[in-house]
Amino acid sequence: MGSIEVSHLTKCYSPGVPVVHDISFREEGSGAIGYLGPNGAGKSTTLKLLLGLLMPTSGEARLNDFDPVRDRRNALARVGAIIESPEPYPSERVFDALERVGQLRGLDRNGIDDEIDRCHRELHLPPLEWRCGWLSKGERQRVVLAAACLGDPEVLLLDEPTNGMDPAERVEVRGFLKRMKRDHLILMSSHLITDVSAICDRLIFIDKGEIRLHASAEEVAARVRVRAVDVEFARPIATEALEPLQPWAPKVTRLAERRFRLRFDGNEETLTRLLVECQRIGPLSSFTPAVPALEAAYRDIVTEGSVRPE
Amino acid sequence: MQDAPAPVLPRVATVPPVVAPKLPSSFSQWIVIARGQIRHYIRTYRFFGLLLFVGVVSAAWLILLVASGQGLVRLSFLNSISEFLTDYAQTLPLWIILAAGFFGGDALSVDFHSGTGYYTLVMPVNRSVLVAGRYASALFVTLAIVVVYDLFGLLGATYAFGPGAIPWDPLALSLGLSVLFAFAAVSVAFCFSALFETPATGVLTTILVLFVALTTLQGVVELAGFEPWWSLYYAGGAIANVLDWQFVAQQTIPVGGGQFIQSWSATAQEGAAIMTGYLVFFFTTSIVLYQRKESKG
Repeated sequence: MGSIEVSHLTKCYSPGVPVVHDISFREEGSGAIGYLGPNGAGKSTTLKLLLGLLMPTSGEARLNDFDPVRDRRNALARVGAIIESPEPYPSERVFDALERVGQLRGLDRNGIDDEIDRCHRELHLPPLEWRCGWLSKGERQRVVLAAACLGDPEVLLLDEPTNGMDPAERVEVRGFLKRMKRDHLILMSSHLITDVSAICDRLIFIDKGEIRLHASAEEVAARVRVRAVDVEFARPIATEALEPLQPWAPKVTRLAERRFRLRFDGNEETLTRLLVECQRIGPLSSFTPAVPALEAAYRDIVTEGSVRPE
Repeated sequence: MQDAPAPVLPRVATVPPVVAPKLPSSFSQWIVIARGQIRHYIRTYRFFGLLLFVGVVSAAWLILLVASGQGLVRLSFLNSISEFLTDYAQTLPLWIILAAGFFGGDALSVDFHSGTGYYTLVMPVNRSVLVAGRYASALFVTLAIVVVYDLFGLLGATYAFGPGAIPWDPLALSLGLSVLFAFAAVSVAFCFSALFETPATGVLTTILVLFVALTTLQGVVELAGFEPWWSLYYAGGAIANVLDWQFVAQQTIPVGGGQFIQSWSATAQEGAAIMTGYLVFFFTTSIVLYQRKESKG
């Protein structure tokens, strides 16, 4: 099975200004790891270091236990990757662009045809005789995803894999990656929390070049500080009826006839108290965090530098 | 150009992925890269564009010869086959430089200027193999231009002097030097391509340095009384010099007022040595530069 490892990895574009600073993690086996962080956090730089597209200032990156700078062929032999916005030659046909990848990975004629056929069906690729320069951004992204998956590599490094895709395409690709993660190791960076939460089992948060959190999705959800809940009553409720909640939820916003958003201090005791008080006001249909756990964690890390400690 | 339709793939029920058994050899990957690059030159019409240009210019040359044969124009270089071939071969280095700049000047920089590099550089291929594959294809199309140009010259010589007059041995030596010159010029183009990030810069720099800068500097150095042994353009002169029956490597030319200047022309050995030097130095440098280049953008 594949492995992804970075050890005390630092990269400075200019001396003394690290874009990635002393980060370490190791993932192996199968599953999907979400690599999250704001713009400029160091996500793409980490992936480029792993792929040998950048040279580390110090520390090392390893793919399948090979150094991508010193032993490029072995490190990338069982790895598929999408980084930044890859483009095959615009004059090249989709089939030729994929065939070239298959040949470089060592597939024979039948293997290439079977693999292109599989990707064509699973990713709904554009017509194979089309030139890559004719493709929309979403179509091109599906072609490069197919190229990354050709020859069934053990490890996939995906930087914004659904970039430029419409919602329907994103759903399709999410389904594809969910199937892939069963027996592949996927490291996926994305700004789209919905994609990451749908696909990834483990998460790494990076900000200002440093890893802030490396945990399973469940752990992140458990540790996240919920500061607002959406409560839906079984019947219409007047806003005044929610006045008893004032001591615990100073700000109440009406979202719909039966639906309100309650903002509070993020304390678990306050949350329990709010639930009890809401049940007193009327029967409840739902009582859920206003912001999904992953999004809340992301916000905590970006604004406060960490999520609540265990 | 009309593309052949892509193969129709069999529609089968869902099958498990085909696992790539093991990486092919670097030599096999080199062939894949070279073939893909030649296909790229053909698809972008760059190759056929330059080929057409060379063909049109050479055809115009032939038409001029025919007109001369019918007494419509008088051409001074038709005095002997040697004079004709020397004159014709003198422009060959320029065509080779143009072709090398066109095909090699952006062959590597394209990976750091657009998303093409992010498609190619994540493949399990050593960068030296990428350079060598693209180099082979740029050289191949450059030599195709040389062959077309030479064929027109041969046709003209046969028309003007008859097939029996062709001096095959000097011609073969000249062709060999053209091939070596193409190797050297493409190496220089690849080096500039590895150095710069904008494709157009590599193309223009190759043409400007090899043609404009070197010839200007060469003239200045010769006026100062030194042999320009370091200039590739000077070495390229050997392609024509070997066809010249009256070739003199060094001459003293009177310029009036009792003053003289020295003039040098490269011999075949000297030309070959300079070209080999350029080939080794610039090809090695382009591999080193390309291997160390980072995808920062």
